[in-house]
Amino acid sequence: MPQTFHVDVVSPEATVWSGEATVVVARTPEGEFGVMADHEPMMGALATGPVEIESANGERTTIGVHGGFIQVLENQVTLITDRAEIATTPSDAKQVAQRLAEEQEAEEGAETDQG
Amino acid sequence: MASAQLRDTRRRIDSIEATKKITRAMELIAASRIPKAQARVEGSKPYTSKLIEVIENVSGVGGGTSHMLLERREVQTVGVLVITADRGLAGAYASNIIRMAEHRIGELQRAGTDVLIYAVGKKTQSYFRYRGYRIERAWLGVTDTPGYGDARAIASTVMAAWAGRRIHALEAFFTRFQSALTQVPTHMEVLPISPPETAPGHDRPAVSYEFEPSPGEILDRLLPRYVEAILFNMLLEASASEHSARRRAMKAATDNAEELIRSLTVQANRARQAEITTAITEIVGGAEALAESK
Repeated sequence: MPQTFHVDVVSPEATVWSGEATVVVARTPEGEFGVMADHEPMMGALATGPVEIESANGERTTIGVHGGFIQVLENQVTLITDRAEIATTPSDAKQVAQRLAEEQEAEEGAETDQG
Repeated sequence: MASAQLRDTRRRIDSIEATKKITRAMELIAASRIPKAQARVEGSKPYTSKLIEVIENVSGVGGGTSHMLLERREVQTVGVLVITADRGLAGAYASNIIRMAEHRIGELQRAGTDVLIYAVGKKTQSYFRYRGYRIERAWLGVTDTPGYGDARAIASTVMAAWAGRRIHALEAFFTRFQSALTQVPTHMEVLPISPPETAPGHDRPAVSYEFEPSPGEILDRLLPRYVEAILFNMLLEASASEHSARRRAMKAATDNAEELIRSLTVQANRARQAEITTAITEIVGGAEALAESK
């Protein structure tokens, strides 16, 4: 049984995912990386794209994420995202992330129009 | 004439009934929105607290906590952000906040400080505009169901003003939602960001993080998020408070209408009774007069 650690995925609106996991795969602008238990403390910016979480009971969850940060500290992994949404299928996550990015752009565009 | 009075009273009852239907509907609508608004306040909390935690860690490690948004400046101009509602019919909700803000603005002005007003909600805008204050920017239509995008828009405006040194401090006035019954007008200093105090007993040994990108760059991105998050939280609290205040005001109005209807009904019945009595007296009088003349 692989060691587990705690993962929180939060967005401004809500906690998207929270629980024990064995593996988290995320993307920074520099590339993909995986986190397992006892990972070195780390802090990174997140890129737009899918984040995969394998939970303690072996279930895989894929979350589309746009922007934010990941912190790994003492077996606590925190993903603070601008936007995140759980994707139905792993292949879907990329599109979800893309859509989130577009939504945000659209919102920002609308705001500048008002100004 | 009695019947005219009766007709008048009945008309008033009808009109109050109609008003009561409206206030009752508004009460129910507001009541139905409170739980959702409250849930959103709760839902936004983990993000803010995680963000604060991360900022603490980064600034603890990054050593030099110097960032534009943390800078204390000599205050010449204060930005005042006042969050109220777009619509009235919420009792003293908007005026409580406005009174508090105006008091503070008076204080600042007496101290020779310039004030720029950022208004959220039509009530803030019209109040301050009518009194000749300078409104730097107003956001309307956000307080009913504020989205994160709204917080982002406000944050980017105030941070741009901060960066351009148009304002040297930002103070916010909003209503904190404590419970459905208690909402507290609150005054909060937003900018400069006060470096998060490390909670006692929370003394983390400086962790050697692996940063990607550099700590400075991370902080650069974290702090604006923090401003957005606290503004978002304010908007959500204000919105939950607004719905609660409206529900209470509309309930009072509905109760009041019921009370009025009750007393007017008594009055109408009395008028009707008087009318009947008069009619009977007339008939009896007439009949007696006829009987006598026979």
